[in-house]
Amino acid sequence: MYPQQVHDYLQKFFKENNCEIVDGNEHYMTVQLTVDIDKKIMNRPFHWQYIENTNGVPDPAQITLITDQTKISRDIKGEVVHFGSPRLSQLFQTTNQLGAYVQMYEKVLNNLETRPILTPWLGVNYKISYYCDRTKEMLHSLGINLMTGEVINGFQESLATKELDVQKSERAFLLPYIIKPLRALDRLDAVVENLIQQDDHTWAEEAKGRWQKDQAILEHFYAGVENKPECYDMEKKALEEQYEARIKIDIINGGLFYMK
Amino acid sequence: MIIERSSEWKEGFTNRVENQEQWDNWTLYKMSYEVVKDNLITDFSGLQSPKYLPNLTPLAHQLDVAETVITRMNGKAILADEVGLGKTIEAGLILKEYLIRGLVKKVLILAPASLINQWVEELNYKFYIPAIPYKKNTSIDYYDVIVMSMDTAKKSPHKELINAQNYDMIIIDEAHKLKNHKTKIYEFVQGLKKKFCLLLTATPVQNNVFELFYLISLLKPGHLGNYETFQSSFSASKHSLEHDEYLRELVNQVMVRNRREETGIEWTSRRVQTIPIEFTDEEREVYDLILELKNVSSVFSGAFSMITLQKEMCSSKEATYLTLTKMRQNCTNQEEIDFVDGIIQKLMTLEINSKAEKAYEIISKANDKVIIFTEYKASQVYLQWYLNSKGITSVPFNGQFNKSKRDYMKHLFKEKFQVLIATESGGEGINLQFCHHVINYDLPWNPMKLEQRIGRVHRLGQEHDVHIYNLAIENTIEKDILDLLYVKLDVFEKVVGELDDILSTYKKTI
Repeated sequence: MYPQQVHDYLQKFFKENNCEIVDGNEHYMTVQLTVDIDKKIMNRPFHWQYIENTNGVPDPAQITLITDQTKISRDIKGEVVHFGSPRLSQLFQTTNQLGAYVQMYEKVLNNLETRPILTPWLGVNYKISYYCDRTKEMLHSLGINLMTGEVINGFQESLATKELDVQKSERAFLLPYIIKPLRALDRLDAVVENLIQQDDHTWAEEAKGRWQKDQAILEHFYAGVENKPECYDMEKKALEEQYEARIKIDIINGGLFYMK
Repeated sequence: MIIERSSEWKEGFTNRVENQEQWDNWTLYKMSYEVVKDNLITDFSGLQSPKYLPNLTPLAHQLDVAETVITRMNGKAILADEVGLGKTIEAGLILKEYLIRGLVKKVLILAPASLINQWVEELNYKFYIPAIPYKKNTSIDYYDVIVMSMDTAKKSPHKELINAQNYDMIIIDEAHKLKNHKTKIYEFVQGLKKKFCLLLTATPVQNNVFELFYLISLLKPGHLGNYETFQSSFSASKHSLEHDEYLRELVNQVMVRNRREETGIEWTSRRVQTIPIEFTDEEREVYDLILELKNVSSVFSGAFSMITLQKEMCSSKEATYLTLTKMRQNCTNQEEIDFVDGIIQKLMTLEINSKAEKAYEIISKANDKVIIFTEYKASQVYLQWYLNSKGITSVPFNGQFNKSKRDYMKHLFKEKFQVLIATESGGEGINLQFCHHVINYDLPWNPMKLEQRIGRVHRLGQEHDVHIYNLAIENTIEKDILDLLYVKLDVFEKVVGELDDILSTYKKTI
């Protein structure tokens, strides 16, 4: 992420969370936080506990974030934010928390002759991580039609061309779902597991090979030792933790989508 | 295969479907997806860490090391770059990579006490890794990255506290301190679980090849076989070239080592001279009398005390005097006492210290900042006095100084004084690139100590050629030390690899 992208990200983040940008240019910004966002990113639970217990006047902080220090005057003091900085990863996390569940409707024309029908979908964005002594991650955006049970991959991308709104258009008619959302979620979970099963798992085999090789070396070291010392078991456990193949499935976010 | 999943999202989703909680913001939803998509680790290999560190520009060899350690050595390695090539940066890159990839969460870093703050600062400011220094009351359950001194770690109650944690990665700086497998610290490190482990040392072999065996056995027990097989294949008595090459290959599977000249960076060169010095007749007489001592009294028959006295006599009468008077107290027989007193008397009347004069000559000729390393505190004090009498300003330096005193002394040396006189323990942890003359006033037995000393000035950032003067008095024990240093260097180069000049090269042909 380049400084400009970071800057755009911050701007969008604060705007969506109703934090007013009181000062700044393309390379820095001074932001008046709201109480909610202050609680989320300023790390001062005791301060807020105190204010609330004493019925004090809430005083959310104002912060200055600098996205390109090389392009601003020296008198501007603030926190430098760049890709990899703790502040940005914290904001990524906060974004994730605040954007985990949505319910959206495709916009339709409000003319009286037609009564457009919207079909319910469940969309879920999955992240799959493969772990051994190395890591690989994959993203699957799945959508399931709650009428037919049809499943598509690349769901999130397919939304890019559509106009969505949090409010249903007046004239739109919502089909009731046949598959309940929670059942649909179970189905998508099964689809993801199936995707994993279909995948090539040479990586796990290779990790096992490395594990066995190291295990053999360890055995060699203690060959002929009758009562193996504690550190032998320790080493063995360390090898297991180092090489054992694991797979993790995370849901980034998801929601209900009503679409033409 | 184990598949982990969490039901957390499902719970939140259920609440919303049942209208118990509000739906979230669509823009934030899209932003969140985009961030995950952009930061996805799409490949098992390759380094992610550099793009998270826009303010750090690692050198090519440092990136190479990080990649090699992760992909070829599976995260267990000895980082053995020559002094001053940035082993801390390499370790930081590797650690950062594992943190980003979610393979490491809890980290223990063991370093000499004098380097703890440097580690904490570098990790925090260069790598954005929230490392904290361990203090007596630090509750280590709450902190993921802890930097601790080896001396603390090996003692109760700290040792027990550490063992109760489940560390994913152990990093040990100045790992040559683990060369002796009979020490407490060795035993302690051996008992630690090492899922990923980095041992940092520029000098993995200091005296003999067994040190390397024990170091590697900590990292990967069995890699060089067990003790018996190792001894029978590689002990000095059965030396052959093929064996050396085989051993070297094994070692290279767990050790990365860059040499200055291979890094592609323009390095200034080292100009090493061995400077032979002749004792005055008076000094020679005292030296010979000291040699006589072992025939006169049983107090002096121990090899160790004799060697100490000889080395001290090569350094200064002040150093010799302290040891001699201490040992005199153990003499019972009047004859012995008289003999020792005779030596002390002659010693105290000595007016010339040939070595100090030579050092002065070098300093005046250099007409520049100079570091002198001595093994003895008494010589340190003497040299300061002697140089002062010649109008040369100097500051003392040693490892026991606390951080602020060290910084102050370094500052004085940089800004005001011409000479810094350091004792051995001052050898690590200070960087003095602004200086380019090093006098090894006394020679240590261990060539790697010389390498550490030289590394204080000959490191990244040095802009001038570095001059090294090894002082050795002719026909004394220092000649033997010098010979032994060459033998040890030979062992090092055979199993570890080439080494930048420590001693002058012409002697190698001898």
